[in-house]
Amino acid sequence: MDIYLPIAEVSVNWPLLVLLGAVVGFVSGLFGIGGGFLMAPILIFLGIPPAVAVASQASHVVASSTSGVISYTSQKAVDYKIGLVMAGGGVLGALLGVELFRYLRLLGQADLAVALAYLLFLGAIGTLMLYESLGQIMRRVRGEVAPHKERRRPLWLYGLPLKMRFPRSGLYISAIPPFALGGFVGVLSAIMGVGGGFILVPAMLYVLRMRAGVVVGTSLFQIIIVTAMTTILQAGRNQTVDIVLSTLLLLGGVVGAQYGAKWSGRFRAEELRAVLGLIVLMVGIQMGLELFVRPSDLFAFAPGIAQ
Amino acid sequence: MIAALPPPPPAVSAPAPERSIGTVDEVRVAAALTDARVMVDSSFRGASIVLYGAVFNPGDQPADVVVVVRGPDAPVRLVKKTRNMGVWLNSRPVLFEGAPGFYMTASTRPLSDIADFGQLRRLGVGVDHLRINAPEESRTVTRYGVRDVVVSRLGEDYLDFRRAVIRLREAAALYNTDPEGVEFVDRGLFRAEVELPAVAPTGRYFAEVWLFQDGEPVSVSNLTLTVEKVGIERDIFEFAHRRPWTYGLLCVLLAAFTGWAASRLFRRQ
Repeated sequence: MDIYLPIAEVSVNWPLLVLLGAVVGFVSGLFGIGGGFLMAPILIFLGIPPAVAVASQASHVVASSTSGVISYTSQKAVDYKIGLVMAGGGVLGALLGVELFRYLRLLGQADLAVALAYLLFLGAIGTLMLYESLGQIMRRVRGEVAPHKERRRPLWLYGLPLKMRFPRSGLYISAIPPFALGGFVGVLSAIMGVGGGFILVPAMLYVLRMRAGVVVGTSLFQIIIVTAMTTILQAGRNQTVDIVLSTLLLLGGVVGAQYGAKWSGRFRAEELRAVLGLIVLMVGIQMGLELFVRPSDLFAFAPGIAQ
Repeated sequence: MIAALPPPPPAVSAPAPERSIGTVDEVRVAAALTDARVMVDSSFRGASIVLYGAVFNPGDQPADVVVVVRGPDAPVRLVKKTRNMGVWLNSRPVLFEGAPGFYMTASTRPLSDIADFGQLRRLGVGVDHLRINAPEESRTVTRYGVRDVVVSRLGEDYLDFRRAVIRLREAAALYNTDPEGVEFVDRGLFRAEVELPAVAPTGRYFAEVWLFQDGEPVSVSNLTLTVEKVGIERDIFEFAHRRPWTYGLLCVLLAAFTGWAASRLFRRQ
């Protein structure tokens, strides 16, 4: 049942990869996220070289996001206009991120960058999600009414030039914040191999204050464009995309995602967020631990030999 | 049977022992591999190749056989983790050149019993005698009036780095030392197994079969072995390296199509 991956140059158990794709796909469908943050660490754990893992699973994100966007489009829950502005920033960010990653690999500091990014972003987002959703669950159990939320955008959003109308999102704001948000997530997508939904969704909700109904669909749309770009760049610049690996993952992934989406209706939104927050936090801590725990071997091979 | 084997190439560095000039031409080793070509296809999980050979030794003096297999050289970069303010960080990578991607020795006895340190070092036989060095880290200086003394910027750490290259490769089953790997199945007839792990690099491998007597190499037989990707594995690898941008685009289209097809399929159900 083993298959030799031509680019990763390792032999792996293929049903395990399909299963992994299905599980991550299920999680991604259930929570409406790409699931890249979960996939990359597991692939590395299975012995796939990190550069290949990060680059190859991006296409898994493309597949699950495509199927997500199609279903959100039929519900008219995608704002293509703001999505394109964000994707513009995202493509620029991905270009920068791939070059930055190459440079970090040459310096031998790619592991550090990846571990830090996971620890900081997943740690922070996970903690916030867990805190917010647990508070909501506690209030429901006690029968309290949710406190009134401050529904105002930060004032600085109004002072910026290049204002555009985004009717579907109910916004009339400068194009700079969504462009910058997209760019930032693009850089992360290249370094961490993630779609970036876990940062995009809260930022779109709480910073841009987009209409809640279009947030997930629009973020998925932006993610497709940016991860597609990342995949092409990784293949073109680093030759680290393994088509056999990504096909195995996405075969399981698309099926898992459909079942995940069906199941998501059975749970309350805050319960889902609490579980997701916990998963995100745990992955962040797990990846960050390597910075603090004494490694079993002080020496390690650094990938990325200068050509 | 033995006579049918092709005559071995002349010994590379076999100084004739003074005692038995008459027989030295006769003492020789000949060897062959069961498989000179290892094909890496989608079911590749490593390979086990048998090297077999014959020792033609008319005298009574015992002979030792040492089999050395080395894979294609590729530079490796190594980092050392150091603790800075409670956080483990990577040092600047050190580039080592001349590290074979695969290296194994199999012998009838431990190498140190077969020949002395100087001899093994000169022939480059044994993991401890691999010519791995970090050229960028060394510079030549004049010390105590002696010119061109090689000094490493890594200082004392240099040996640790060198040992780490070997240790990490041994952990991946890429470097191997088997002091009892050469087995005599009959008088003069021996076999040794070459275990290639799935992560073994592709390319040309060189096998040397040395015959030692009294700590001196008396004969050597050279063989080559090719590890190459075949079939679809080769096609994909070549495609990804020759036309990387088209390949990337194809990966994305495939992913998008799969996503689209899945959503179509599931909506119907």
